[in-house]
Amino acid sequence: MCPSLRAGAFKNWGERAMKVRTKYVLLFTLPALILYSLFVVYPLLDSLALSFYSWKGVGPKIFVGLKNFREMLFGNFSKEVFNAFFHNIYFFSLATVLELGLGFLIAFLLASKLKGAKLFRTVVYMPNMIPLVIVGFMWGLFLNPQIGLVNSFLKLVGLKALARPWLGDPSTALTSIILVNVWRHLGFYVLVILAAILNIPPDLIEAAYIDGASNWKIASRIIFPMVLPTFRTLLILLFIGSFNVFDMVYAMTGVQAGPFRKTDVLGTVFYRTAFGGLGSAYVDMGLGAAVTVFIFAIVMPLSILYVFLVEGRERSW
Amino acid sequence: MVRFTKAGKFLSYVFLTIYALIIVVPFAMMVLNSFKSMRELFMKPFSLPSTFRFDNFVKAWKFANIATGYKNSLIVASVTVLIVILLASMFAYMVSKYDFSFRRGMFLYTMLGLALPARLAVIPIFVLLRNLNLTNSLAGLVLVYASTNLPFSIFILKNFIDAVPNELCEAARMDGAGVGYIYYKLILPLVKPALSIVAIVTFVNVWNDFFFPLILINDRSKATITLAVSIFFGEYSIQWPLLFAGLTLSIAPTVILFLIFSRFFIAGMTQGAIK
Repeated sequence: MCPSLRAGAFKNWGERAMKVRTKYVLLFTLPALILYSLFVVYPLLDSLALSFYSWKGVGPKIFVGLKNFREMLFGNFSKEVFNAFFHNIYFFSLATVLELGLGFLIAFLLASKLKGAKLFRTVVYMPNMIPLVIVGFMWGLFLNPQIGLVNSFLKLVGLKALARPWLGDPSTALTSIILVNVWRHLGFYVLVILAAILNIPPDLIEAAYIDGASNWKIASRIIFPMVLPTFRTLLILLFIGSFNVFDMVYAMTGVQAGPFRKTDVLGTVFYRTAFGGLGSAYVDMGLGAAVTVFIFAIVMPLSILYVFLVEGRERSW
Repeated sequence: MVRFTKAGKFLSYVFLTIYALIIVVPFAMMVLNSFKSMRELFMKPFSLPSTFRFDNFVKAWKFANIATGYKNSLIVASVTVLIVILLASMFAYMVSKYDFSFRRGMFLYTMLGLALPARLAVIPIFVLLRNLNLTNSLAGLVLVYASTNLPFSIFILKNFIDAVPNELCEAARMDGAGVGYIYYKLILPLVKPALSIVAIVTFVNVWNDFFFPLILINDRSKATITLAVSIFFGEYSIQWPLLFAGLTLSIAPTVILFLIFSRFFIAGMTQGAIK
């Protein structure tokens, strides 16, 4: 689709690049460099620095050394942090299974060029255009225990026994949020995997059919291995995404991430600690910064791997 | 490509139809219920409204400050897109086509941003904007969004500009074209598809964001559409038909635009994310 992406931005340092006067270099690069340094690089470094201080947002910063990290990893606050951390992990696991599994299945069905596939693509991609927080509010209403449409629907079709306060029940709250998240994102995964499938040389699949291979064999022995690199990239995106979760929890179960913090994730812990105030026992921008350093340490290695993988691919899908 | 038997085809259609319904029905329910009264919504949630109460939309429009939200989101997203396109293409062009010291280092430095989730830096960003007197202002949001969207845009644009043959630029130079002229008259027209990917991805990212407005804006008149809806939900949490009307209004422009230009959006967003 875009052949130019094959070049590989990291490798293309053509020997024939032209000479240029320094004033032009500065004119063309400084605006971007200044903006990027000021609002991306400096704040990240400052976050790191801030994690060694205690600070209420105004007034003096007090240097506390590693105290924030001790509190976060071993102190009372660590219960809250690790509770959230495991929710992020659960989020990642369930979202990955559903998104890649269903994504592959649906993409495989679509690869047969069914009639109406174009319309279908538009439909499944649509939720991706809606802000996460809006999706969260919308499903929050649908999942309401008294008058939510989900329970009303279950009663209507005679499955009253299944009706429950989805977001109020500790055993279903987080899973409900993840399912809504899958509802919002699945179309993206379907279309990316579909593009990878359509990129497989058709002859390969034709030849297998001629040899009498079943669809199962073709899916598992040809298509799946061929789209594996795409899966790898999507897996990393899912991981990074799962540790960035915030909007939907905010919209569906609030900053307190009820019931009993059963839907708490690192994003909401951070928000409460740094900005939320209300109801958090640990309000401190320094401690908040320490939480971001923690998230950062988890996500960073995979983020770097992602950049390398995307770059290292010989041809773009 | 993949082939199915008649039975296989039938099953695929059934499966895909169910999935499509799971996507579409919630939207339909949202719209239907936004026309009802609270009582009707409670009694008959799945039926068509007995009377279409457009009044709900009028109220939601007013109470949720939808107009202000649209306006602010549109301003922030458009200005951000313009800045990002201009700065990222200038930077990518210089790094791609010219030889100078620190050329590589400069590029790798910006690429670090691909691996760094910007949200994690929100405390210093908040403090920085506060010191610049730019919290609670659209300009502050624009600065944050423009900066955080630069790395990805530079990456995409450099890829495309790399593909423009150097000989073309050299020939233009022989004919007396300057650095700026080559950028404006040669490079930009040649990488238009990349510019549109960058524009779409940036616009959608900014329009859909909730995190930065939540932290940086606390004045209703400056709220973006996501923040406006969030405030509205806090205040009118029991008037469901109004809430549904507010939701419908808040997503209508995006959904309509998407339905018209879906091919364009899908290509831009999926290519953009995978690069």
